[in-house]
This record gives sequence, structure tokens and C-alpha cells, in this order.
Amino acid sequence: MSEQVAFQHIEKKSLIGTRIKKPDAPAKAIGKTRYINDMVLPQMLYAKILHAGRPHAEIVSIDTSEAEKLAGVYAVITAKDVPDLKLGFVKDNAPLKGKVRCERDEVAAVAAESEAIAAAALKLIKVVYKDLPGVFSPEDGLKEGAPIIQERFPDNKSLRFEFKHGDLEQAEKDSDIILDDEFNVHYVTHCCMGTSCAIADFDHNGKLTIYSQTQYPYNYKMDLAPALGIDPGDIRVIQPPTGGSFGAKLDVYPFEPVAAILAQKTGRPVKILFDREEEFINSPTRQPAKMHVRTGCTKDGVLTFRSADVLMDNGAYTSWGPTVPVIMMRTVSGHYRVPVVDFKGQAVYTNNAYAGSFRGYGNVQMTYATAQHMDMLAEKLYDDYGLDPIAFRLKNAQESGEVTPQKSFLRECAFAECITTAADASDYVNKLKKYTAERATDDRYKRGIGLASSIHNAGGAKIHKSDGCGTMLKVDDYARVTVITGASEIGQGIDAVIAQIVSEELGVPVEHVTLVNNDSDLGPWDVGVHASRTTFIAGNGARRAAIKAKKQILAAAAKQANVTADELDLRGGYVVQDKDGAVVIKLDRMLRQMHFQPVPDVVMVSDYYEPNSEPEGKDHISDHSAAYSHAVHIAEVIVDTYTGEVKVEKVTMAQDVGRVINRMGLEAQMEGGLAFGLGFALSEEMLFEKGHLKNPSFRDYKVPTAPDMPELDIHFIESDCAEGPYGAKGIAELPTIVIAPAIANAVYNATGIRFFNPPMTPEKVAHAIWDKKRTAS
Amino acid sequence: MSDIKHYIAPTTLEQALETLALGRVTILSGGTDLTPQVSVGRRHFEDTLMNIRRIEGLSQISMQGDEIRIGGSATVSDIRYHDLIMKYAPLLCETASHFASEQIRNAASIGGNICNASPAGDMIIPLLVLGASVELASWTKGVVQTRRIPLDEFFTGPGKTLRNSNELLAAVIFKKPSADFVGFFRKSGPRPALEISTVSLGIGGEMKEGKFQHVRVAMGAVGPTPLRGRQTEAALEGQKLTRTIIDHAVLAAQQDASPIDDIRATKWYRNHLVAVFTEELLYNVCQN
Repeated sequence: MSEQVAFQHIEKKSLIGTRIKKPDAPAKAIGKTRYINDMVLPQMLYAKILHAGRPHAEIVSIDTSEAEKLAGVYAVITAKDVPDLKLGFVKDNAPLKGKVRCERDEVAAVAAESEAIAAAALKLIKVVYKDLPGVFSPEDGLKEGAPIIQERFPDNKSLRFEFKHGDLEQAEKDSDIILDDEFNVHYVTHCCMGTSCAIADFDHNGKLTIYSQTQYPYNYKMDLAPALGIDPGDIRVIQPPTGGSFGAKLDVYPFEPVAAILAQKTGRPVKILFDREEEFINSPTRQPAKMHVRTGCTKDGVLTFRSADVLMDNGAYTSWGPTVPVIMMRTVSGHYRVPVVDFKGQAVYTNNAYAGSFRGYGNVQMTYATAQHMDMLAEKLYDDYGLDPIAFRLKNAQESGEVTPQKSFLRECAFAECITTAADASDYVNKLKKYTAERATDDRYKRGIGLASSIHNAGGAKIHKSDGCGTMLKVDDYARVTVITGASEIGQGIDAVIAQIVSEELGVPVEHVTLVNNDSDLGPWDVGVHASRTTFIAGNGARRAAIKAKKQILAAAAKQANVTADELDLRGGYVVQDKDGAVVIKLDRMLRQMHFQPVPDVVMVSDYYEPNSEPEGKDHISDHSAAYSHAVHIAEVIVDTYTGEVKVEKVTMAQDVGRVINRMGLEAQMEGGLAFGLGFALSEEMLFEKGHLKNPSFRDYKVPTAPDMPELDIHFIESDCAEGPYGAKGIAELPTIVIAPAIANAVYNATGIRFFNPPMTPEKVAHAIWDKKRTAS
Repeated sequence: MSDIKHYIAPTTLEQALETLALGRVTILSGGTDLTPQVSVGRRHFEDTLMNIRRIEGLSQISMQGDEIRIGGSATVSDIRYHDLIMKYAPLLCETASHFASEQIRNAASIGGNICNASPAGDMIIPLLVLGASVELASWTKGVVQTRRIPLDEFFTGPGKTLRNSNELLAAVIFKKPSADFVGFFRKSGPRPALEISTVSLGIGGEMKEGKFQHVRVAMGAVGPTPLRGRQTEAALEGQKLTRTIIDHAVLAAQQDASPIDDIRATKWYRNHLVAVFTEELLYNVCQN
């Protein structure tokens, strides 16, 4: 075989933009993957947590004696066992609570031989509560004399964000049209298929190994340590395959230290695994927000200002949820050129559930408002001044080289191309006019079309001191490559992307690249999977490491072949002549020759890639991402005006992806991201009554099912980002961000009714139509 | 912790009924309602869990004289694709195709759907429209005894029926509909699959010489049990389906329905849907 090939010439062939299969897909499809949920360690105990099940109360007494006596119970713990341990963004949370501040509050925990015994033991714990009056809305939390949720915050005020740019008063005077509306974005949750799970195991030196679903293994240690009273250096994080994260695993939540405390106490590995109802009640939510948004515009269709006053229900504790204004502030002033901006965001403690990070991170909420305001302005400008709705958008669309009021530098901006591509592909303007005209007919089924767009960070977001990622790469004697990366795989597909990039650089088959990225003792640092950053950051890191390895190999080969290194290349598992692809030597043979010599030359390289972005900074005025990207969605809907059912028939998506890397993974991210936004727009809602979740099941919390998915017409716009790997930008959040307001705009086009409070459930839509008819007659 | 002490899977009806007669038995007939109800604590397992799926003949669908008989453990999928049902009662196939999801249809049984007695039980609605009865079997004095109860008398409240604990739903039986029979089913919910009905409605009758006769109307999720819309039936019986008659029927349907507010819908929306569906189904009848 090798003799035959020796006379061959190997052409240069790029993998970038092709379809690469996700390496773990077959095992997942046939149910062979061993998720963390399936794991059993020798001598492992099972833990269950007693949740308060009431929103606000003093704990008068806890009697655990009966539970402790139950055969098979190894440990029962309460807040008394862990008095000084804190967790959370402002350290206002604890593994176990001495006071109840929300329904999910962890009051006690049991470790036992089986889950059934642990559950039985929970029933034997006697807790006497003294219920306290509760706060169930941010408005009530701000009232004089409102019950205090967190003693450290007696006015119930949690995080606050402000950003001002330009002269608002003057901008208002310069405006011919001013829109003023309140948008109220509801509670939804991630619904990961794999419910929350942790397995904690201490060794005899006091080192904790925690098997975790975390998305940020390195900073996770820093956050988990104070919740355990140990040094972060004494924590090893192992990440077995996880059934989804989407932001839900971007913080430490109480069940994780609880598992570790029980492991410490019993000297055994301890596993906590939520059932679905526990998952609904005890997981973070998306941050709900009441957004008072005002937008000004001249009669020529030039935007003059935007102000946003955002009130957020913090819930009882502070996780990542109330930090979403960090992104809201940027998107409120980005993507369409807004010269004057006034943003205020205030989070208020209540006795409700608390929010975490969630795909779209503040931008799902803000874009729901801004994209509807743009649509409302477009309609008014067309009706009153004859301005074409696409021309209006293009007039205000940001372009390459612009800097936003917050100093986001749009180096490569393809927003205008996204708008025109999607509008042309869907015949937007003609349909918009046609459906507007048809609105007045008596037809039961009304069609509508709606356009929405947004901007999002697409090259990480430097909210930590570093937004970097480490990579170590070795090429062994058989030309097999192992990449140890800091980047986590949570289902998003970095495994395929890194294999593809390394394969591209080293000319080895994709299947010959092995990724190691599930053990914090092995992997170099990475900030975590979030902010649409992993392909951009870890992809750059992997590429840089692979290029180093390539240089080392080619240098050795050049010396041997008596040529210069730049005359050689790596292709198809061979060292070849760059100019004509003539085979010089088989790569594995070359590597063995490098290795087995008096001074061994072994290929083991490393890299730490730090993007060229600026730290977020406390004023939030910085170029915090290495790239920004835009997307446009055009949704086409049919509304049954009798039942209120909204069927999304088709969505045309145009997104600036910089450059397509793995086409298959990219398409999957578009589809999956859209499904998230679809549920948020139409059916998903956590229903709370005085802090109590009334629908903790998939029967009553309605995620979209396969038949709900619309036809998708996806257009990738390639703006060729100078800093991104091969020109790529981060892509994962925009599909979730843009779809909901596109649907809302389409429903408006069909019915003439604006929905400022998602989800647009059949009942809500039917009632609004009925109400409109009744008022008209 | 499981309270199940014995698990049995009898192969004959006699064995099953004898076991049932001993008491403290939970019947497993698909388990798609039972399992989630147990896990949330709404029901608990008795000492004996009896799987009735292996009872010979209990899932059979057959014509006996002028009656169609569906065995109690026939699955929703069995019904959906059965030649006899497709030929004589396509309304049932239509309803079955809207029932939950493929996996649940393959497991859920007709007997289970009926005995679970949910006000929103989908298969019950077309069976009420078809005028079905249930056949209950028990082991009494050493022999199998059966009794028949019309389905519209069977339900006594949410989750409650006239079935005694020693009785098994052996079959659901209805008279073969005449060639003039037309029937339609409609359910609603925010998504097209895996949906518990917000409101379900069935209308059926014989269309003879332009007049709608032997009309039966059934409604789900608008009262404590699935119910017959008697006032709607009266408004339609023997009538030509004119605009005025349909309007009367819509008003009557809203009288028949007595919905409540719950987390799935408000009373207003359920009443609204009853009106929309009544009109829609009567329109379908006219088109047929």
C-alpha cells in the first residue's frame, strides 16, 4: 500500500466548511453513552435533599433523629452542620439553609444506601416552620416596609446596572416618533434531558473528585471551594457526558456542595440525581424582566435614541440571572445605530425562583423588545411617510468599522447582507403588504410574516480576567493526535470542530484525533462553555497548537530531505512537497524517526490563546468580545383566529457566521437554538403562584415537539472574521435570541395585535382577538 | 419505595379475575397513566401488581353479530390500524392518531384510558359518540360473570367509575354504525403532539335525507367527567343543519359544558373552544 502511494501526489484539500460527524453521535443515538446520570462508583451512597416547599419561613426546629435511625442511612445534615459555607455570585446562598427564602430551599440532606431509603428518611425529618409574609414581585419588594428577604440587603435591592450615552433630552426633542412600551418576559427553564447530577468522592488526603455537569470546570473549583471550606486546589472536576446544559450549569448550585459535604462526612462517594419534578423546581430559570423601552426616530427613519428601564425579579438568591444587563446594555444600543442610550437595570429580591445563565443571556429578553419596536417604527414610517420597511432597517443598520456607544468595535459586520438575504429569500416586503391587506377579511386563518434581528458577542466576552483557553497537543509514533483542551464538550460539538481543525492543519484523518477535555487535573485552563465562544476561542487554540506541531514536524522532515520547511506540507497522512503534493515520507514513519534518535524530537506542544478583546470593566464600556455577529430571522405564521393557535410554517434565517467550519454542527446549532426560542415564544412558561411552581412536569410545561418545528431556510453569511479561526465567529446564541420577536412581528402582521408578554399561547392569542373584536363592535 | 409485594401476569381471564377477587390488586394495562400517577403520589400500588396484557384474547378486536367489540387491553395503536375499525368507525382511528405520541399509543390500552376516567381522556369521546358500553367481568361464585354499563353512565367523577374493585374492563362494545353515520372528533392544545386536551369534542349521527338523526355529542375536559352534550343533541336531532340550527347548537353546547379554570386553560377559553369546535364539526358534517 505504502509503496503504491509513494509515487502518488496528494492534492491540498480543505475540510473547512464540510460536514463532520460528531464523534459521540452514534453512541448517543443507540443509547450506549454512559452519562453521569448512569454512573455508579463502588460503595457509592445516594443522597436526597429535603426542600422547604414553602416560600418564606423561619425554621423553628429540625429533628433528624428518626431519619438517622433508619437502617441504611449513613448521614443526615442540616444548616447546623455547615454554618459558614457560602456560594453564589454575591455569596448570598448556602448549601443548606437556616431560613427559608424560596420554595426550593435546601433544608436538610440524607445519604443512604439507596435512593429509596434516602427518600424514606426525608419523610422522617420533622421540621417546624414559622411562615413569614412573602414578596412575589419586584414591585412589591421595593415597597416601603416590604418583608426583607436577605438580611444583608434590607431594601431588597440586588444588582443594579446603568449605562448612559449622549443627550437624551435633546434626542427626544429631535424625534418625530417616540414609542413607549412595557415588555414583560416570563420565566422559562432549560429542560436539559439529563437532570441535574453530581457525584462527590474524597480521597484520604482530603482531595475532592467531583463528577459534574459543569460548563466551567476551572472557575467552578473557585466557586465550589468556599461552599465546602476547602482549598480550590484540592478539587478535581471530572465531566462525564452530560445531557444538556445551555447555561444551567454555569454556576455552582446547592446540590453540588451538599453531595460533597455528605461524601466528606461518610467517607464514601455520594451521588445526587434529580428526578424531573425536582429538576423543574430546583434548576435555575431564565431571568424574567419587565422592560420599559422607549425608542425615538425621525420622520426620515433615522433612530434618535433608546431608553430601557429594566426591572428584574432576582428571586431569593443571586446567580447569573440578574447579571444579564451586561449583555442587555450592549444589545439595546447595538445592531441598529442608536446614537443616544439610557439603560437602567435593577434586580429586586423576592421569594420566587432564581435565575441563572441561559442561552441568549439577556439578549433573548432585550431583543424581544427592540425587534418589535423596530417593526412598529417600520410600520409607522411606511404608513405615514411611505418609507420602505427594509430601506428603514438598512438605513440604521451598523456597518463594518463602526463602534457602538459601549465601544463594541464591529470589525467585520455583515448585518446589511443578513437583512437583504433573508428579505429577498422570503419575499418579505410583498408578503408583508399582502398579509396586511388580508387582515381585514373574515377568514378564520390569517397569514403573517415578521422580521427580527439582533447582535451578539461572537468572539467570547471578557467578563473574567481572562477569556482564554489552553491547549496541549501531542502527535504519537503512529501519527495519532491527542488534543488536551480546556474547552468542555456539553453536546455543542467542539469535539468535532477541534478534530476537524487539527486534521486540517496536520493532514491526518479526523478519526485519528482524540480529544481529552473532561478532567481538570489534565486540562489547561479555560473560562467555560458560554457566550458563543468555544469554536472561536478553543478553535483558535487548537489551530495554533496544531500549527506549532506542524512546524516541528516539517522542520525535521526538511532537514532530512535537505529542503526548506516551507517547501513541505502535511497531507493525507504524509509529508509531501507543497508545490505538487509529491509524497516525501509517511507521517508516522517520520514521527518515529524523529523520536528514536540520540536526541529525541518528540511532538508535544502547548498553547494558551487569549483573544484580543478588552476586559468588560466596571463601567461596561469596552470592546469586550473579539467579534460580534448579527442575525436576521423572518418567520411566516398561520394564526387560527378562532382557537388562537399559531403555527410557524417557515423561518428564513440569515446569520453572519464569519466562516462555516463544521457545516453539520452549524446547522444543528441553528435548528436547536431555534427550537429553544420557539418554545419561549409560543408555549413554555413556568407558572408561579406565590412562589410555588404549579407546572413542574413536561405535561404542563410545554416544550416544542418535533411536529412544531417549522421549515427552515438557512443562509450562512461569511464575513471572514480576521481574529476567528479560518474567519469563523461564534454562533450558538443568536438562533435562540431572534426567533421569538420574529414570530411576534408575524403574529402582529396576521392579526394586528402586539404581544408584549410572551408566550403567545393559543388562549392568550384567542382572548386578544376576541377582545379586539368585542371592542370594535 | 415500592409497595408491590407480588407481580403476576395471568394468561387467562379466569386467573386474572380470581386474583382480582382476592383484593389489593393494582391492574397494569399499559401503565402510561398509572406510572406517572404513582410517581407523583396521586396513586399508590396495592400489594399485587397484575399485568393483564398477556391475557389471551383480551386485546382482540372483532365483530360479533351487529356489534363491534374491542378487548380491554387493545392498545390505541391496535385500534388505529385495525381494518374493522377503519372500515366501520374511522372516527376512532382519527382520534387515536391525535392521542399522545407513538410510544404512548403503542403502550396505552383502551381499557386503561377508560378506567383512568380522566375528564380529558381522548378515546372516551368518540366512544360516547358511538354509543358504546363497557363490559365488566368478575369472578363471582366460581364463575366469570359479566355486566354491561353504557359508557355515558360509567363515569361518576374525575378518576371515578362504576367499576368495582373485583371487576375488570373486559371489552368496550358498540353497535356497528349504519352506512349513513358521520362522526368527527376535535381536540385542542398548544402543540400538535403529546398534548392533554384543553377541550375535546365529538359529534356523530346519521345523515338521512338531509336531516341529522340519532345525534350524539360528547365533550371532554369541560366537566368532572367526559360528558354527553344532551342539549346540543336536542338542538340538532332531526334537523337540517342550517345556519340558524348550527347557531342554536353552539349556544346549547356552551350550556352543556361546565368547565373550570385550571393551569391548562381558563373557563372562558374552554367555553370559547366548545363554541368553535361545535361549529367546526357541524360544518364538517355538512361537508361530508
